[in-house]
Amino acid sequence: MSLLNAWKQAALTSRSTGLKHLITSTRLVSSESSSTPANKKSGEIVTPEAPRDVLVADVISGAPTELRHRPVRIYQPTRNTMQSGSGKSERWRIDFDILPGGGRWENPLMGWASSADYMQGTRLSFRSKEDAVHFAEKQGWDYYIQQTTVKRIPPKNYAENFLYRPSKLRILRTK
Amino acid sequence: MLRLVSTASRPSSAGRLGKTAVPPKGRRAFASTSAKHADISLTVDGKEVTVPQGSALIQACEAAGATIPRFCYHDRLAIAGNCRMCLVEVERSPKPVASCAMPAMPGSKVWTNTPLVHEAREGVMEFLLANHPLDCPICDQGGECDLQDQSMRYGSDRSRFHEITGKRAVEDKNLGPLVKTSMNRCIQCTRCVRFANEVAGVEDLGTTGRGNDMQIGMYVEKTMNSELSGNVVDLCPVGALTSKPYAFHARPWELKNTESIDVTDAVGSNIRVDSRGVRVMRVQPRTNDDVNEEWISDKARYAYDGLTFQRLTAPLIKQGDRFVAATWEEALSAIADGLAKTGAQGDEIQAIAGHLADTESLVALKDLINCLGSDNLATDQLGGTAPPVHGVDVRSNYLFNPTIPGIEQADAILLVGTNPRHEAAVLNSRIRKSWLHTTLEVGFIGERVDTAYGYDYLGQDIKAVQEFVAGKGEFAAKFKAAKKPLIIIGSAISEHPDGASVYNQLASYVQTHKNKLLTPEWNGFSVLQRAASRSAAYDIGFVSSAKAAKTTPKFIYLLNADEVDPKSISKDAFVVYQGHHGDLGAQLADVCLPGAAYTEKSTTWVNTEGRAQLGSAAVPPPGASRDDWKIIRALSEVLNVQLPYEDVLALRDRMWEISPTLVRYDAVESTSPDVALAGLKVLVESTKKAAFKGLPFEKPIKNFYMTDPISRASVTMAQCTRAFTGDQESGISDEKGLQAAFA
Repeated sequence: MSLLNAWKQAALTSRSTGLKHLITSTRLVSSESSSTPANKKSGEIVTPEAPRDVLVADVISGAPTELRHRPVRIYQPTRNTMQSGSGKSERWRIDFDILPGGGRWENPLMGWASSADYMQGTRLSFRSKEDAVHFAEKQGWDYYIQQTTVKRIPPKNYAENFLYRPSKLRILRTK
Repeated sequence: MLRLVSTASRPSSAGRLGKTAVPPKGRRAFASTSAKHADISLTVDGKEVTVPQGSALIQACEAAGATIPRFCYHDRLAIAGNCRMCLVEVERSPKPVASCAMPAMPGSKVWTNTPLVHEAREGVMEFLLANHPLDCPICDQGGECDLQDQSMRYGSDRSRFHEITGKRAVEDKNLGPLVKTSMNRCIQCTRCVRFANEVAGVEDLGTTGRGNDMQIGMYVEKTMNSELSGNVVDLCPVGALTSKPYAFHARPWELKNTESIDVTDAVGSNIRVDSRGVRVMRVQPRTNDDVNEEWISDKARYAYDGLTFQRLTAPLIKQGDRFVAATWEEALSAIADGLAKTGAQGDEIQAIAGHLADTESLVALKDLINCLGSDNLATDQLGGTAPPVHGVDVRSNYLFNPTIPGIEQADAILLVGTNPRHEAAVLNSRIRKSWLHTTLEVGFIGERVDTAYGYDYLGQDIKAVQEFVAGKGEFAAKFKAAKKPLIIIGSAISEHPDGASVYNQLASYVQTHKNKLLTPEWNGFSVLQRAASRSAAYDIGFVSSAKAAKTTPKFIYLLNADEVDPKSISKDAFVVYQGHHGDLGAQLADVCLPGAAYTEKSTTWVNTEGRAQLGSAAVPPPGASRDDWKIIRALSEVLNVQLPYEDVLALRDRMWEISPTLVRYDAVESTSPDVALAGLKVLVESTKKAAFKGLPFEKPIKNFYMTDPISRASVTMAQCTRAFTGDQESGISDEKGLQAAFA
């Protein structure tokens, strides 16, 4: 436990100052460190501190620290306009922003797409926004939640095609 | 029974758009949304569901969570009812019924998944496939084809089709350089015909023949001359209409989708950038009913190939009359040296913000220039160096206040010096939609154009505005009688010599008619911007002070500015260009800094309504180019005025300090009527003494297909220019084009 706390402390202090909260204050990440008293007497009984809501996973997972500087986007993908089916649009996804600079290149020999980005093939899907947010917090990622758009389809009616309008006809139907 | 129901549903269908509730006298409705119709309940697959009266049965089934296969039915088009794929079983109905053409009836019991339904749909599918070629492996629709998807469930594994003459053969049509046709694959769903008729407003496509001989086409050889024509590719449920520039380039499962924002106009259409490796392969619309519904303009969809041509990939320093590639360090120190050498002090340092500058870089550049002691900030337009006539202190003076969906509530629209069809194509389709379904009246002042809806032509110059304000003419009377009138002022008016006077006239008109034009529910005074960065530039105050505007700049920083007049830049000035294309601006520069294009950076864009939206990067910027705000941040260090933000989140904190609206994504913050009135008052005061010359208002966009460096570099857009504007020089039409050709 104490080892873990030391790790956490180290991780938190080494963390860059860049992790400020997003404006929408969606970033409510676990960076609140409860200070562990360092100068405790050896014989004293250490009461275990209450567990934090979220333990940043990469403290122990060994994920590269660079990952924490890449904001992720949590969103619900929209329907593909090429298709009428709306499959996969109810799930929430986490996407990483691409690596700037030389994160991707075309292989000069074959023209294949190469990448130095170990997250480029990662696609995370969640059942709900809360699940996605929880996961991102657990990983210690900055996230931005893109709001889902509200679909507004008015009631439609076949009879509208044959509706009488007293004013001048404004459309010539060529069907 | 059927007749009874359709009569009952008529009240709702009489004006499905913009039909507003009439509030009881003396009380004002809190919201101005349309009236809620009576709801009806029915049972779908044993599940009770409640839908508004007048809904189609297919909508009720969807609301109940049942998936109904369909080809001809589309949410945003009129109902045709000719594919018969959406058959469902209804209690006490002798036959399966087409759920799209059937109104939902209260208390009816519907089944969508019974053996009868399956058999009926299988029968329909068999007939569709009888004449559909088996070329899925070479069809561009393969992988995202409705027919392919639905035949997996309802298709038979063998054919009963043994005609000696083979399958039906139909001649391919030429619809221009954007839409490729393969009419053998057509299943006559008529979605494209309905789209062209209703949304695009080009009533050219139609059907000829009947039964097995029915064909979709123009009847005469003709291209589909619409700025929304690319949307028929999306609508086509099979591979009959596919994208010509994208033909055989990629398969949908190879592509990475990135949801982003379009910048070719100020609508801020939501797009999905599909990329493979480092290349953008195509751009698709993303449905958002608040902005672009489901459509995007052809420029937004097809200008992406311009992202691969004429790119600036390394910092360039001018030596003599040619550019030499340099490192970032050299380029930045060359700028510092240049600034020192010109001896520019205070307002002699100028920054010009172009059409495609993102909000983050605008904020960083304004901070940088202000830190250097200058207030000389200009926008890249005619007369952009002077403070704009409408001022930037009150947001409602330069934004599209009623919001884009709000257009559908307007019952009279006056367009002043704008052609929305070219300046905001998707917004124009909203006006057309409203014009078709309601009694909307449109008045037009400016150069005559084809707007895809009828209008009363009032004149071409300030005289027409004066007459309108004085209440002369038929349209002025109609406008006065309207409940929700709307004035749309084009962005070109503020560039016009008579602009101040026009603003004065119209603002005082709004003041005197504020009981209708400026109420808590409705702000009928709107400016339609045409550049993606303009609203953001005004929001952060990227304008010069009156004193600074008179200074001759010695050091000019062009941020994506490619519309500047070369003559306005003095010979001895030191010019820096930051941008992604070697267009006009880069030629004028002494140092070029390569930035990222809109598909390569995750930045904020503010559209003409003032809606901030966050784009995202799909592909990395090429070569040594970098995110634009980072370049400015790096330069600030070299110039010894270090900007206080180190990452994009800190920069967005700074944006929040300037204006919280810049980071409240996907929301429109409306101006309260009192503030809007105060803004108009200031506007009227400041333009009181404006003189006018009576010059005609010209349309600012002569060629829709080439308005920015990306579309000017695009081969597809050049082909469109040749095909649709009759310009045989393939887009190199004016002086600017010729200059751009060598860069």
